[in-house]
Amino acid sequence: MSRISPALTTGLGPFLLGLALAAASHPTVAALVGSGAASRPLPVSRLAELALHHLTLAAAGLAVVSILGVGLGLFATRTRFASFRGSIDTVVAFAQAVPPVVVVALALPVLGFGGPPTLLALLAYGIMPTLRGTVGALDSVSNEARESAQAIGLTPGQILAYVELPLAAKGLVETLRTALILAVSVTAVGALAGASTLGTPIVAGLQNQNIAAMLQGALATAALAFLGDGLLLAIGGWVQGNRQRTAD
Amino acid sequence: MARRTGKSPVIPRLLAGISAATLLPAVLLLLPLLHVAPNRLVTGVPVAATDALEAWLWPTVALAAIGLGLLAAGRGKAAAGIAGLACLGALALLLAGLGAGAAELIAVKPLATRARLASGAWIGITLLIGALSLAAQRARLPVGVTSAAAVAGLLAFLWNAGSLDALSLAVELRGRSDTLATAIRDHLVLALGALALAACLTGGLALWRRGRGAVELTVNGLQIVPAVALLGGLVAALSALLAAAPSLRGYGLSALGSTPALTGVAAYLLLPLWRGQQAARRAACPGHLDAARALGLTRRQILATIRLPLGAPLLVDGMRVAAVQALGLATLGALVGAGGLGTLVFDGMAQFAPDLILLGALPIIVLSLATEAALGGLEAALRRRWPR
Repeated sequence: MSRISPALTTGLGPFLLGLALAAASHPTVAALVGSGAASRPLPVSRLAELALHHLTLAAAGLAVVSILGVGLGLFATRTRFASFRGSIDTVVAFAQAVPPVVVVALALPVLGFGGPPTLLALLAYGIMPTLRGTVGALDSVSNEARESAQAIGLTPGQILAYVELPLAAKGLVETLRTALILAVSVTAVGALAGASTLGTPIVAGLQNQNIAAMLQGALATAALAFLGDGLLLAIGGWVQGNRQRTAD
Repeated sequence: MARRTGKSPVIPRLLAGISAATLLPAVLLLLPLLHVAPNRLVTGVPVAATDALEAWLWPTVALAAIGLGLLAAGRGKAAAGIAGLACLGALALLLAGLGAGAAELIAVKPLATRARLASGAWIGITLLIGALSLAAQRARLPVGVTSAAAVAGLLAFLWNAGSLDALSLAVELRGRSDTLATAIRDHLVLALGALALAACLTGGLALWRRGRGAVELTVNGLQIVPAVALLGGLVAALSALLAAAPSLRGYGLSALGSTPALTGVAAYLLLPLWRGQQAARRAACPGHLDAARALGLTRRQILATIRLPLGAPLLVDGMRVAAVQALGLATLGALVGAGGLGTLVFDGMAQFAPDLILLGALPIIVLSLATEAALGGLEAALRRRWPR
């Protein structure tokens, strides 16, 4: 048991903060702040519905981004594709010059209102950082480890599964954390394109002075980000703990 | 990519050249190049290359094929130079041809008719500019400056010649040139203001030595909060504050506008600036500093001769990341009424007018890329000035 506890405590801070923020987004709490005439706090059921939509959209985007980003990262680190490595950073720099709002906006005329432009923005904005993070994590595996695995006769696939991925696990979890935060954040921006997410009460609240709903949306979105972050940190800690136990 | 040094076989290089050469003709011929719509708000009907470019089509395709093919198959500076010129020529022909085609297509239609660049044109333009930069890199020219100057020169020439006037984006630009200028100015003021605010804050926080752990935690935690949520939360908090203490309005504080936008954007810039600063602080290893003290250098001399040369590139690197983020985040400033290029983007979204969105988006992208290139260049220059 003593081995598990440090793994779980890594994610505890963000997780507790997330819970606190979620509690603060409850209508009775938010109503204390927005006392103006136009303030109408959202009922819990509506907030939960929005959170569910937000979660579904962000999770779908995160899944595609992680599969594509990590997959491409695995390809890029194989020696066969070494010549493509130099161009990755250039493409990353270019992709980051386009803010997510702009991607959502540009996708709007092509894909229409709602979820699709948000998902496209998530893909366009999330893949390159994930790819670069994966490449960075795999690069941090020392060549000695790879060479000794080769020397004892492991196939490239076995080297990837038993040496590279376990050694790069920490970096990979970090990469997924970044991708998750991006996913939650871009999904909130998606409210501008008419996707029904936790960003919706913020955007609508800004337009019609509904301070309480705006605050609820903001707190709930932040809560979702912190809860997800805490969860991934805990998973990362658990993976690390497992590895150490097998190594002992 | 045939970039490996040493002898590479001829056949694969030839194949690479041929496949690269067919790429752009395929894009131009298979995808629509223009959309012609009865007004600025609807998508309209796609127009294929043969109708959009007419006589310009084959010269454009031929030059593009030569440029891209030579870039993939050829080696050496001369080949890269010729490939770059061919790509630039193809870009010029493509743009001029599209302008002429658009003028012809809308000439007989009602005044509100718009001819808008479609997917094929955008992909073609992006590919050609990318190929141009690659050619500049192969020819050992400064990539950013060369390609930016070439494209800007070309656009300025075509604009002055009136070749682009019929394209919908140009029509939109003429209608809103004043708004655009104000928006760009507001955008820059917001981004620079947030950068300055964040830089002052990071500088101040660095003096608080004991609180380093707490600062690290806060700055990292802020990054997790989604930008829309932070801005919304700031507006809500400010309006609650102003409701509780209305006298604060006298000091120019307001719940909407530049106060929440500046604070919100600056909050996200703390992390890159803080990281750059801490990296710069650690750049001089204790050994260097001990040696310098043993030599009898004063604190000021150590700062000027050791800490600054070692740390400056890292500081500039943090500044580069922060500046690019500031320009992107400033777009969201329009959400809370702080103006900037986001105004055009959001107006375009509200009206469903793609060209208005582009009119706001293109300057943001150009500004970000220019900042990235300029500060990246400064960092490289500092590293050359003070090699480790």
